[in-house]
Amino acid sequence: MDFSLKEEHEFFKKTIADIVDRMIKPKAKEIDEKDEFPWELWREFSKLGYLGLRYPEEIGGMNADKIMCMIFYEEITRGSVGFAQSVIMNILMGTYFIYRFGNDSIKERCLYPAMRGEKIATICFTEDQSGSDLGATRTRAVKDGNGWRINGTKMWITNGPICDFCTVLATVDPSLGLKGLNFFLVEKGTPGFSSGQVLNKLGCRGTVTGELIFDNVWVPDENFLGDELGKGVQYVGEILDEVRLMTGAMALGLARAAYEEGLEFARKRVAFGQPIGKFQLIREKFAEMDTLMNAARLLVYYGAWLLENGMDARIVAAEAKMFATEVCLKVVDEVTRIYGANAFAYEYNPQRYFRDARFLLYGGGTHEVLKDFIGRSIIGKL
Amino acid sequence: MRIIVFVKQILDSEAMISVKEDKKSFQFEERFSLNFFDEFAVEEALRIKEKVKDCEVLAVSLGPKKAQDVLRTSIAMGVDRVALIESERYSILDPTYTAKVLSGFAKKEGFDMILCGERAMDDENGIVGVLLAEYLKVPYVGSVIKMELKDSRGITVNSEMDGGLFVYDVDLPAVFSVRKGINEPRVPNVTGVMKAMRAQIPSYEPSSFGVFSPKTEIVEYHSPGKRPPVKIIEGKTPEEKVKKLISLLKEEAKVL
Repeated sequence: MDFSLKEEHEFFKKTIADIVDRMIKPKAKEIDEKDEFPWELWREFSKLGYLGLRYPEEIGGMNADKIMCMIFYEEITRGSVGFAQSVIMNILMGTYFIYRFGNDSIKERCLYPAMRGEKIATICFTEDQSGSDLGATRTRAVKDGNGWRINGTKMWITNGPICDFCTVLATVDPSLGLKGLNFFLVEKGTPGFSSGQVLNKLGCRGTVTGELIFDNVWVPDENFLGDELGKGVQYVGEILDEVRLMTGAMALGLARAAYEEGLEFARKRVAFGQPIGKFQLIREKFAEMDTLMNAARLLVYYGAWLLENGMDARIVAAEAKMFATEVCLKVVDEVTRIYGANAFAYEYNPQRYFRDARFLLYGGGTHEVLKDFIGRSIIGKL
Repeated sequence: MRIIVFVKQILDSEAMISVKEDKKSFQFEERFSLNFFDEFAVEEALRIKEKVKDCEVLAVSLGPKKAQDVLRTSIAMGVDRVALIESERYSILDPTYTAKVLSGFAKKEGFDMILCGERAMDDENGIVGVLLAEYLKVPYVGSVIKMELKDSRGITVNSEMDGGLFVYDVDLPAVFSVRKGINEPRVPNVTGVMKAMRAQIPSYEPSSFGVFSPKTEIVEYHSPGKRPPVKIIEGKTPEEKVKKLISLLKEEAKVL
């Protein structure tokens, strides 16, 4: 067994951490307070080329392995969850199906500009009445001549109101349930495609999240993203484990941001004539947080290792997402206690971490759904 | 033109350090970084390279194997070549020894310009640059905040000292140490990072450049003393606070 990162991974981690410390972390508070998409930071960051992280070098990507991807997701989230969410959407879910199924023209129009940060990508699963329950998707695609006509409304779409293109999950026949689901590309400017309500969120502020409306939107056949009809859910399965592990890595990054500030505070804050880090009950918090974070890290990176080596990561990925997120919630909570009343003030960061952590509960599957999946997978069909 | 930049890996400024009981050594958290001032030197070399045809930038470090990291960072920023002169472990080295070894390397490679940071943030000696120039018998300018290449044989540099500015025309080859403010170091892009991750770092023994003995020996290390607690002066008005402050400066601190 070898738990150490390879030299190249260590170097990548240090480099990304430096970039995050220099470019992103100093702006995190402002991003949260303004709750506006940080266009300047986006342009500055995307120029560096990391948005092509997981795609081949031949098309301008970095061909990063799964360990590197997790390192990236963890570090960028340590800087700002709001910014990380938009970046990761362009890197992974927002472009995956375009990369996988888009023809050359679509890749030229959408994928390559998104890898350069010139276009903003997103994916649309959730609707007002369906999230984890994909089978309840009501957005409908109907064959119309040499293309498809799409009608429906999507909600909770990360980058939605500012996206240049989106991959939309729609059913071709609601009676088929999951087997009726397919992906379609819709680009900004297509008649009938518009954004609706922008959500005012508790956390992850700075990422623009909201509603996308498809009102009789017509797209050509080439915008159907798949080899054959009815395989949408199967295609989701291709990246679902990575998405779950990514959420776990984000949770780790956020937990670390909170933990590091809590540690600094515990070393410096004096109460009853000594730094509070000298009190046993504060030390106990660090013992617990460190243990939990180490356990979460092992699970997330073990899952990434399984994926990288082509092994079945379905259960571990679900466990990693669930456990790392719960650990993150615990850590951000403990850090607010270490900070005392200061954590309740907007001047200090712990309240932001506390708010941001809640978001990670939902992406990649709620824990109620994940627990059921894990339990079902372990016990098997009875 | 060949520019050599000497870079040092130092303990990260946020790493926990404590002196061991024997006072001869210290234990530290394994967090390292490229010396803050050396990053400006790398950046300046790259900026000169961008303006000059056929210019090679070579980053070199004297340190343990782990110092490869700062060389990889230099590659990620854009240097053409790197070399590690491997000393067995991280330690505070005697500056004359360091300068002798590095000057031996520079003589062997040949150079038009040597750039380094004005000091290392671990030992704060700030004399390796000037010693290098002495051993290499070339001009030296320190505290450089601006460099303007005239041609391949000369450069104009601004050096900032005690709030004043000195402008020098310097014949090359020469050694310069740079300070904060000379530039804004670039953030490595993906292409640079990928190149750095794959790079093979050539390594040399210090003895390849001559046998030198240190001129100084560290007898003991001491931790900095604890700062006295901060006293916040309370008062309803600024006048009341100033009165209390003056009284404390006179009676308690006894500095007035």
